[in-house]
Amino acid sequence: MEERQQKDFEIIDCHCHIAAEEHTPRSFIEGSIANMTAALTAQGVPVNNKKLMTMFLSKMQDPLCDALVAEMADAGIVKSILLIADFTYALKDCVLTIEESFHKHREVLARHPGKFEVFGGVDPRWGKDGLALFERSLTEFGFRGLKLYPPCGFSPSDRTLFPYYELCAHYHVPVLLHIGPTSPVLDFTFSSPFLLDEAVRLFPSVNFILAHGAVSFVEECTMMCRFRPNVYLDISGFEATLGYDPSAGAIKAITSVGLNHKVLFGTDFPVFRLQGEQKSFVETLLAEDGPLSDLNEREKLLIFNRNAQRLLEKAIAVAA
Amino acid sequence: MELNGKLEEKILGLIAEGIPGKFKKVKPTHETNLQKELGLDSIGMLALVFRFEEVFGIDIAQLGIEINIAKLRTVGDLLQAGQDILTQAESKVS
Repeated sequence: MEERQQKDFEIIDCHCHIAAEEHTPRSFIEGSIANMTAALTAQGVPVNNKKLMTMFLSKMQDPLCDALVAEMADAGIVKSILLIADFTYALKDCVLTIEESFHKHREVLARHPGKFEVFGGVDPRWGKDGLALFERSLTEFGFRGLKLYPPCGFSPSDRTLFPYYELCAHYHVPVLLHIGPTSPVLDFTFSSPFLLDEAVRLFPSVNFILAHGAVSFVEECTMMCRFRPNVYLDISGFEATLGYDPSAGAIKAITSVGLNHKVLFGTDFPVFRLQGEQKSFVETLLAEDGPLSDLNEREKLLIFNRNAQRLLEKAIAVAA
Repeated sequence: MELNGKLEEKILGLIAEGIPGKFKKVKPTHETNLQKELGLDSIGMLALVFRFEEVFGIDIAQLGIEINIAKLRTVGDLLQAGQDILTQAESKVS
């Protein structure tokens, strides 16, 4: 058992997904698998896409989040935010429609009261239907935010998104958007945080969270958080750096520049389920010699709980 | 369960093969952490599993053996898992 610093706060994981294939297009997964196969075959490892796919899908058998809830309890995570990425406009091989995916998330919310919040995602090219679905998710389903996936082929400052941001302002809910590279079947040119800048300026009452901001475009994300009052970042995906940087130096760097009121803990479950459990990732961050060892308890509390709580509480107050 | 010396040697050899150059100087013991001290991320763990299958001539999925890679934290965990897999494989084949 690794040593762990004393913590007296409840953890909120601001970046999770349901571990079930039905929410993600097969082509998206195949693209990610192809990257892994390339890395492994280059090392002379005997593997093929089919074999990797079988292993990956074995970790995607938790549609009701029962296993996730067990892992959360083990890790001291009291609440996780489930994000719905809408790939269904860009990629046509997803089992569920986006509306069906919303309903499945609603079922999970009802099954595990108090354990989850959901940020619904809609590709803005779905037009009025998409906007109506998003508003229903806030008013009827109890969702608490908007998730955007720009690599599907749109800028986060595209005008078609403005009605969504107006709803977010009205209902006091935050927007979380993917930053950086993703499955090779999508368009990386829309993954820069600077593409968000216009929207951030035009909607100053909406809070925006740059997902994976401690992993991709770190300097740009830091700059946005420092100079835009309504921009935050989450550290999800840091697990990908542990192979070459086991002490999570990137996290240490981003939490050492006076931005801890803007940094949110996140894991990106189930992406790293072949690497470790939720508990092991929390322990890596909170180890005596871990990347947060120089922070005081107040700063850790902000990152693991209060920042997310602050972003959620306005929306919760509206719904109540 | 006590590990057969030769088996341990083989598995340690596989681990040594998969360690990134940066961590080559680490001498693995049973307590050594796979991720933190040997730099084995998800790709590194997968490489270990597939090399294990190759060396021992088994297909874990085909044999229907359950392996939870996420629970493997230390070299000792890995050695034990290797032993368990081979025991299960033997019982399924015989």
